[in-house]
Amino acid sequence: MSNEPNIPAIDLSTKTCPNREQRANGVNVFFGKASDLVAKARQGTLCNREREFQQSSGCLLNFYLSVRVPTIRDAAVVFHAPVGCSSSALGYRELYRGIPPGLGRPERFELQWITTNLNENDVVHGASDKLAFALREAERRYHPKAIFILTSCTAGIIGEDLEGTVAEVQPRINAKIVPVHCEGVRSRLVQTGYDALWHGILKYLVRKPTKKQPDLVNVASMLSYTWQDRLEIKRLLGKLGLRANFIPEFASVEDLQQLSEAAVTAPLCSTYTDYLSRGLEQEYGVPFFLYPSPMGIENTDNWLREIAKHTGKEKEVEDLIREEHAVWVPKMEKIRAEFLSLKGDGSQVSVLGALGQGRLLAQTPYFHEIGLKPIAAIAQDFDNLVLAETEQLIRERGDFPILINTFQAAEQAHLTQTLDPDLTLTCPFQGTSYKRRKGMTRIHALRGDALPSSTQSGYAGAIACGEFLLRSWKAKSFQQTMVEKTEDPYHQWWYEQPNPHHYVPDQPVRTEAGAAE
Amino acid sequence: MSAHLSVTEELGRPHLDVLEAPRWSCALGGALTTALGVYGVVPILHSGAGCGLGHQFGLTYASGNNAGGALGGTGTPCTCLVEEHVVFGGEPKLRNLIKSTIELVKGDLFAVVSGCVPSLIGDDTDAIIREFKGKSPLIHVKAPGFGGTSYQGYELFFEALAEQYLEPQPVKKGTINLLGVVPFQHLFWKGNLAALQSTFAKIGVEANIIVTEFNGVENLRRIPSAELNVALSPWNGHRAATAFEQKFGTPWQAHPRLPVGPKQTTSLIRNVAQALSLDKALVERVIAEEERSAYRFAEYFGDGLVLGLPHAYFAVVADSPTAVGITQYLANEIAYIPDIVILADDPPESARPAIIRELTDGVDVVNKPEVVFESDSYRIRQKLKNRNFLFLLASSLEKITAGEEYGAMHHSIAFPSYDRLILDRNYAGYRGGLALVEDLTSKWAGPL
Repeated sequence: MSNEPNIPAIDLSTKTCPNREQRANGVNVFFGKASDLVAKARQGTLCNREREFQQSSGCLLNFYLSVRVPTIRDAAVVFHAPVGCSSSALGYRELYRGIPPGLGRPERFELQWITTNLNENDVVHGASDKLAFALREAERRYHPKAIFILTSCTAGIIGEDLEGTVAEVQPRINAKIVPVHCEGVRSRLVQTGYDALWHGILKYLVRKPTKKQPDLVNVASMLSYTWQDRLEIKRLLGKLGLRANFIPEFASVEDLQQLSEAAVTAPLCSTYTDYLSRGLEQEYGVPFFLYPSPMGIENTDNWLREIAKHTGKEKEVEDLIREEHAVWVPKMEKIRAEFLSLKGDGSQVSVLGALGQGRLLAQTPYFHEIGLKPIAAIAQDFDNLVLAETEQLIRERGDFPILINTFQAAEQAHLTQTLDPDLTLTCPFQGTSYKRRKGMTRIHALRGDALPSSTQSGYAGAIACGEFLLRSWKAKSFQQTMVEKTEDPYHQWWYEQPNPHHYVPDQPVRTEAGAAE
Repeated sequence: MSAHLSVTEELGRPHLDVLEAPRWSCALGGALTTALGVYGVVPILHSGAGCGLGHQFGLTYASGNNAGGALGGTGTPCTCLVEEHVVFGGEPKLRNLIKSTIELVKGDLFAVVSGCVPSLIGDDTDAIIREFKGKSPLIHVKAPGFGGTSYQGYELFFEALAEQYLEPQPVKKGTINLLGVVPFQHLFWKGNLAALQSTFAKIGVEANIIVTEFNGVENLRRIPSAELNVALSPWNGHRAATAFEQKFGTPWQAHPRLPVGPKQTTSLIRNVAQALSLDKALVERVIAEEERSAYRFAEYFGDGLVLGLPHAYFAVVADSPTAVGITQYLANEIAYIPDIVILADDPPESARPAIIRELTDGVDVVNKPEVVFESDSYRIRQKLKNRNFLFLLASSLEKITAGEEYGAMHHSIAFPSYDRLILDRNYAGYRGGLALVEDLTSKWAGPL
C-alpha cells in the first residue's frame, strides 16, 4: 500500500525477529479518539507508557504459542523453561479430538511436548546439556519431522546459547530443529511472539520451492477461528478449484514446508499473518495481501477477489460471489432488519467488542453490515502495520473512541460500564467481563469447536454469527443473574471517575538505550 | 521418578527431570492458585505478564474446567516485567502496583507472589514489602517457577503466612485445620473439604478448611488457634504443618490419603478424636449413623454391581492422596482389583515407602498391584499398555488412549482433567465412595 509506513525488510540471518515495538512502533496503551491515535502514529509520537496498575495479560510464550505450536502434527515441542511455562499446554492430547473425523480431521494423529523443567541448579550452571538431551529424547521417542524449541524468560535471562545447542544437536538427529525466541520479557506485545514463530518457520522449515502449486492458498488461522471456519473457507476456495493450506495450528510439518510453493498468502487476521506474508514474498516471491479478512459479506467478496487476482480466477470468482449472494444475502437482510428493529425506538443496537487489532479492522465493518452500531473499540495493541487500514476505517465509518490494552480487565470493565453498550462481546478470561445487565456473549469460539453455529468466516459465518448474536439478545438470564448476585472485585470509586487509564502516567517508558520508545 | 528410563549412551547424560507433560505447574502457579482459593486474598504477581493468564489454562481450566474467579486469569494484578525491568530492576513497578492494587481491588489480604524474573535479576522484593508494613496486610511468597512445583507453591504460601502474617493465639479446644488438599491440583478440593468439615461438625469438631469460604482471611487468621493440624495426604501440607508447629506449637498428624468412603473416613475420625480426647461414645455413635446411612445407599447399587460388573480390574494414575484413597476404597469396599497404580505427583523419596505400603499391605487383594512412581506422561502411556484393567481412573490425558490403546473405560479423577466440570463434587467422606461408584457405573450401565 502506497501510504503504508516504512516496514523494515525481514532479515532471516538473525536469530529472531525484531520486537513489534521496534519493527512497527507497537504500543499497548492508549485511550482516546481513533483519529488521535492514528495522527500520533503518523507523527511518530505514539509511545508505550508504564501502567501503575496492571493485570496479567499473557506473554509471548503464553499468549499463546504454548498452546498453538504443540498442535503441529508430526512435530514435537521442547519447552526450554521452568515447568510452569508449559502447563497451559496440558490439554494437548485432547485438543481437536472433539471434531468428528467425518468433518475432515485426521483419524490418527499425535501431539507431543516435553519440558526441560529448568530448576535452581540449571539457573546457576546453565542447561545446554539438558536442552540437547531433550532434543535427542524427543527424536528417540516421537520420531518427529520437526522439533520446535520454545524459550522462556528464564532461558533468556540466564543467557542460554540456543543456537549453539541447535548447531551441536542438529547433525545428530533427523528432525529439523526450529528454535523460537519467545522469551516473555523481550517485548510488551504478544504479537512479537507470533513474529518470532514465523521467523523460526521461515528460517528453518520453509523449503526452497521445488515446484509451484498454483492452486494452493496459504491461510494462517489461529485459535480464535473454528473448525467450521476452516470448512467454510475450504468450501469457497474449493468452488474456485483452489486448496487452502491452513497453518500453523494443526498443520503438518509438510504444510509448513510447502508455504513457499503457494500462489498467494491470504489473511484471516492481518496482523497475525503479517511477518509470514512479508517473509514469503521477500524470500520466495509468494504474493500476499493483508486486507480484508473474510468476515462479513462484503469483506468475504473482496477477500475472494484478492485471492482470485493471484490465481487467475477473476472470472470464476464473480460467478461464485453471485451464486453465494443468492443464497446468503436474503438471510443477511433479515438479520439486519431484525437488529434494526430490536430496540423499537428507531435507534440501533450499540455494540462494544474487545478485539485483537486484526479483528478491529475485520469485525467493525461486519457490525455495520448486520445493523449494529459499534460505539467504541477495544484492541489488544496497535502498530504501524494496521495504521493505513485504521485510517481508512475512520474515513469510511467515522471516528470512534478506542482503548488499546492487552486484556486489562479493570480498564475494560470501566469502559464497558461507562459506555454501557446494548451488546458486549468479550473474552471471558477476565473474571467478571461476562456479568452484564444488557446483552453479552463471547467474541468468538475456539478452534476445537465444530458447531456450525460457531462459524464466523465467509458467507456461512456471516449468517451464523449474526444469528448467534440475535440469540444472545434474547438469552440474558445468566449474565444478569451473575451481575446481581456476585460481587464486583473493584471498589466503586473506579467506576465513578471518568478515566479507564487513571493509572497510566504521562511519561513514556524507559528503554535500554535510555531513550523513549 | 522411575528407575527404568531407557537412556542410551548416545543421548548423553540423562536428565530425569526432562518430562513430557508433568501433571503440575510451578511454585508460582501453586502459590497463585492457593491464594485464589482463599476468598478475600488478592494475589499480586511480580512476574512476567503470562504467569497469570497461563495458569488460567494450565491450572484452573485443567482442574475440571474451573475459572479462577474474579481475580484469576487476566484479573490477577501483575507487574508484567519486560526487558527494561530486567535492566533497571522491577522494584518501582512493584511498589506502584501494590499501592494501586490496595486502592482499587477489594480484599482483606494482599499476597505478592514473586516468580522467576525478580529472583534472577535480584530484585529486593522484601524491601518493597517492608515499606507497606503496618499500613496494609501484605505478605510476600517467594515462589520462582524454577524453584519448585505447584505442590511446593502451596507450602510456600502457608510458610510465608506463618512467617509474616499470623500471630500466636490461645488454643481453641475442639478445632482443627485441614491441610494438604491443594486447590486446583487436587481436583475435588472444594467438595471434599466441605464434606469432611460437615462430618467433623457432627462429632463436635470445628474443622477450618481455609479455602472456598467467604471468611477466607479470617480462616487464615485463626490457623494458629487450632488444637491440631491434620494433613490429608502422605506428603502435601506437611511443610505447612511443620511451619505451624514450629511457630505456634500446634501438633499435627498426617493421613496417608484423602479418605474415600466409610472405612477410611472412620479411620480419620477416630484418629482425630483420639488426639483431641473426644467423648468416645459420641464419636462411635456418629460413626455408626454415618456408616449405616452410607451402606444403606450402597444397597441401591448392589444389584447392578454384582450382576453387571463385579470384581473388575482397574488402574489408577493420580496424585498420591487421591490414588491411595480411591484404590483402597475400590479394593477394600467394592471388591474391585487394582492392577497398577501410578503415582504421578512426584512425592519426596521419604514419603514413598509408606505410600507403597498403603497400596500393597493396605489393599485386600490376593495379587498386589504394581506401584509405580512416574511423572512423565510418555512413560505413563507406555506403562499402561498390555494390561488387563477395565477401568482407568486417571487424568484426562489418558482419555484418548483409554479406549484405543487399553480397551478400558476412562474416568477423570486427577489433574489435569479438562473433560468434566467439577464444582462441589466430592469423593471424600462417608458418601464420597457412593459418588465415585455412581460415576463409574454410569460409564457402562444399561438394562440388566
